[in-house]
Amino acid sequence: MRRAVQSLSLLLFTLLFLLATFRLPGWLPADIYLRIDPLIGLTAVAASREMIPRVLWALVLVGATLALGRFFCAWLCPLGATIDGFDGILFRKVRRPGPSGETNLRKTKYVLLILIVGAALLGVSLAYLLDPIALLTRFYALVLYPAAVAVANVLLDLLRPLTGAMGWVGLSHLRYPQPVFYMTGLTLLLFGGVISLGLLAPRFWCRFLCPLGALLSLIAPLGLFKRRVSAACTRCLACQKACPMGAIPADPLATRAPECIQCRTCAAVCPERAVSYPASLSGMGEHSRFDLSRRGAIASLGGGLTLGFVTLQSPFTFLEGRRQLIRPPGALPEEAFLRTCVRCGECMKSCVTNTLQPCLWESGLQGLWTPKAELRMAPCEPNCNVCGRVCPTQAIRSVSLEEKNHAKIGTAILKKEQCLVWAQNKLCLICDEICPYNAIVFRPIDGFRRPVVIASRCNGCGYCEQRCPVKGDSAIVVVPDGEIRLKEGSYIREAKKLQLEFKPDPGDDRYLIGESGFEIGGQPPAAPGGLPAAGPPAGTAPGSLPPAGKPKGFL
Amino acid sequence: MSISRRQFLKATAAGVAIGLAGPPGFAGAAEEVDLAVISGEPAAATAKALETLGGISRFVKKGQRVLIKPNMSFAKGPDIAATTHPLVVAAVARACSEAGAGEVLVLDHTLQRAELCLERTGIREACRGIPGVHCLAVQDRKFFREVKVPRGKVLERVEVVRDLLDDCVLISVPVAKSHSTTGVSLGLKGLMGLIWDRESFHSQFNINEGIADLATVVRPRLTVLDATRALTTGGPGGPGEVKRPNLVVAGTDPVAVDSFGVGIVPWYGQSFRGRQVEHLLAAHQRGLGQIDVDKLRIRRASV
Repeated sequence: MRRAVQSLSLLLFTLLFLLATFRLPGWLPADIYLRIDPLIGLTAVAASREMIPRVLWALVLVGATLALGRFFCAWLCPLGATIDGFDGILFRKVRRPGPSGETNLRKTKYVLLILIVGAALLGVSLAYLLDPIALLTRFYALVLYPAAVAVANVLLDLLRPLTGAMGWVGLSHLRYPQPVFYMTGLTLLLFGGVISLGLLAPRFWCRFLCPLGALLSLIAPLGLFKRRVSAACTRCLACQKACPMGAIPADPLATRAPECIQCRTCAAVCPERAVSYPASLSGMGEHSRFDLSRRGAIASLGGGLTLGFVTLQSPFTFLEGRRQLIRPPGALPEEAFLRTCVRCGECMKSCVTNTLQPCLWESGLQGLWTPKAELRMAPCEPNCNVCGRVCPTQAIRSVSLEEKNHAKIGTAILKKEQCLVWAQNKLCLICDEICPYNAIVFRPIDGFRRPVVIASRCNGCGYCEQRCPVKGDSAIVVVPDGEIRLKEGSYIREAKKLQLEFKPDPGDDRYLIGESGFEIGGQPPAAPGGLPAAGPPAGTAPGSLPPAGKPKGFL
Repeated sequence: MSISRRQFLKATAAGVAIGLAGPPGFAGAAEEVDLAVISGEPAAATAKALETLGGISRFVKKGQRVLIKPNMSFAKGPDIAATTHPLVVAAVARACSEAGAGEVLVLDHTLQRAELCLERTGIREACRGIPGVHCLAVQDRKFFREVKVPRGKVLERVEVVRDLLDDCVLISVPVAKSHSTTGVSLGLKGLMGLIWDRESFHSQFNINEGIADLATVVRPRLTVLDATRALTTGGPGGPGEVKRPNLVVAGTDPVAVDSFGVGIVPWYGQSFRGRQVEHLLAAHQRGLGQIDVDKLRIRRASV
C-alpha cells in the first residue's frame, strides 16, 4: 500500500516535471511539490522579507502534518521514494552496520535546519542546497532529463531503419533537441552523495540530514495517529531492527515521535501483531521532544548567521549589476532574486530554447545554481513565458507573454571592431534579419549600410547574439544595461514610462529606411523592358559596396 | 517524365513567340495556363488555383510521396505574414491526400525551435486529421544528405533534406514576404528551407547566385504562392507592414510564379518587377523559368 502510494507520488512528480514546458496549461501547477514544501516557503519568505502568495501552498503540508504526523517522508516525498527505490536495488544485500539506535547523529538535521533558517534571517538562501524537493528537481532538470533525452535519441536512431521502413513518418523524423547544462557534474555529485549514504543505513539521509524532515518533525508529534504497542509485545525487537528511521528506542513500547514517519513497517513485521496506529490526541511523553540541546540550538543559529555573513561579505555583493549576467525575464531585482530563488532548476528544464543555465561562480557563493541566460547559445523566445510560470517562489515572476516581452533583460551592444560589416565591409544582415523587434536597422555610413542597434526597441532576447556568424564571441552581445527588474507592477507600464517600444507599428520600417537615406515611394528605377546593369552587379559580392539606393536584394 | 521543365519552358516560349499556342500534349487543355491567379479566401482560392492548373492529379499520382514545403520558419501566427497561411497549406495537403498520394510530408527546416514553429504557425493544427499528412520540422543534420550541384556557379554541393532525394514530388507553398537580404522571399528563396547549411549563403558567397544554384537541383513540380497576405517590410521574420492582396498564385514555373509575386505589392514602399530581383534574374538566366510576366498565360478568377 505505502509502496504504491510512494511510487504514484514519484510518478506524479516526474509527470509534472515533464509537463513543465512552454506548452504548460495555465491551470496546472507543475511546481506543486516545491510549492507545498514549507522549508522552501519559510526560508524564501524569511530571506526576502516579503510575503510570497505562492508559498502559502505550504500550509497544506503543514496542516496535513499536524493531522497525520510526518507521513510526508514515507508516503509522498519523491526523494524518499527514490532513496527507498535505490535501497531496494543497490543496498538490500549489503551488510550495513550503520549507527546504533541510540546515536546522536539524528541531531544533525536540526543543526542543518537552524543553520539554514539562521542564514535566511540574514537574507541568504541556503535551503536549496539540501532541501529534498529542490535537490531532486535540480537533479532531474540538470542530469536526469538530459540523460533521458540522449537515451531516447539513441533509441530513435537505432529504430530509424525500422520506423522508416514501416512508414511511420512522425517517428522516423523524431528527434528531441538535446538539452545541455552547466553544473551537471556537481549536481550529480550531490545527488549521488545522498543516495550512497544509504550504504551506511537505510534512509540515512532522511534520518540524519534532511532539513525538511527536521522541520516536519517539529510538528509531527502533534499528529493524530500514534504508534501504540499492546501487552502482547514479547520484546523481540523485530520492530526496532526494521524501523528505517531508528524511531524505536531501547524500550520497544516507546516511540520517538519526531522520527516516526508513519510508514507502519513496525506493524507489518511484528510477529505478535502488537503494533497499531490508533487516533489519539495525547502527547507522547519524553520521546516526543526533539533532541537538540539549547546549547546546540544556539550554536547552530550562530553558525547559520556566520555562514550568511560570510556569504554576503564578498565583492560579489558590491559588484551586483556590474557583471555580465543576464537573468531570466521577469526575475526580481538582483538582491531579492538571490534571496528568493531556490535553485530547483524548473525554469531551466522548462526553458524552450535551453538558454537558461545554472550559474557556478558568476555571482558568488550567493548565486550558485541560479539561472542565467546563455544567449550566445540560445535566445530567449518571445513566444514563451514558462520560466516564471513554474517558479515556486516567484523569484521569476509569472506574467503574461505580453508582460514578459516587456521585461527587458538587457540591451544588445554592437562591437564594431568584431562586426563583419563595420570592421571588414562585408555584407551581413543576420542580426537584422533575425531580430523579432526590428531593433536593428541599417544606416548608410561611410558609403556602406551598417547595422545600428535602436536600444529603445531591444528587449535583450539575444537572437542577434546567438546568430552572429562571427566565430568566437559574438560581435553583438546583450549586456544587462537597461534591464527592467520589478518587484511588482506592470512591465508594460514601466517600458512605456521609459519610452521603450518592443512591438513596432507595422510600417515603421519605412520610416527607418527613410531616415537612413533611402528613397521612399520613388519611381521604379529600371528602364522598362531593359536589363539593369549587365549581370549581377559586383556590388553584391561579399566584401564590396552594396547598392545604396534600394533595399538589398533588388537591382 | 520524359521532358524536362526546362525543355518544356523553351518549347512553350518558342510556341508563344511564333504564335502557335500548342503546348506539349501530355497534360491537355490545362497546359494553356502558366499561372493561376485566384483572389479569395485562403482555402477556397487555393483549391481553385489547383483546379485552374488542371487539378492536383496532374502532379501527384496515386501512391506517390509528396513533400510540401511551406514557410514555417518562424514561430509566429498567420497575422504577422512571416509564414504561409495554414489554410493554404492544408488545402494543398488535402488535395494531395485526396489525389491518392502515398504519403504527404509538410516539412521545413525551421529557423526557430521546431516545436514552437509547428505550433504557433497553426500549420500543424490545420493539417491535423488529413489522411496521410505529416507535419514535420527538421533541425538536425542527420535528416539531410549531400548532393552535387553540377550547374552551380557558387555552390558545388549542398545538403538537402533526405526525403527530397527519394523519388518524391516537391510542392513549394511559400508566403509572399520581403527579405532584408534578398529583397523578397517567395518560392525560390523558400527552397533554402530544404537545406542544412544556410549560414554559408549569407557569409561565404553571393546569396542570390546561391539561390539560383540551389534551384537547379531542388525543383518543385508546383509552386503555390500564398499572397493572401504580404509582409512588405520587416521580412523575413516580421513584424512589418502587412498588406492583404488576398491572392493565391500557382504555377509549374517557379520563376514565373515568383516574378508575378514581385509585382503584386510594392516592397519597402517601392514597386518592382521580377527582373529587378537579383536572385530571380539569376535563376532566369540559368534557364530555370520565365521572368517576364507579360509572356505568361495567366488565368485570373475570384472565388
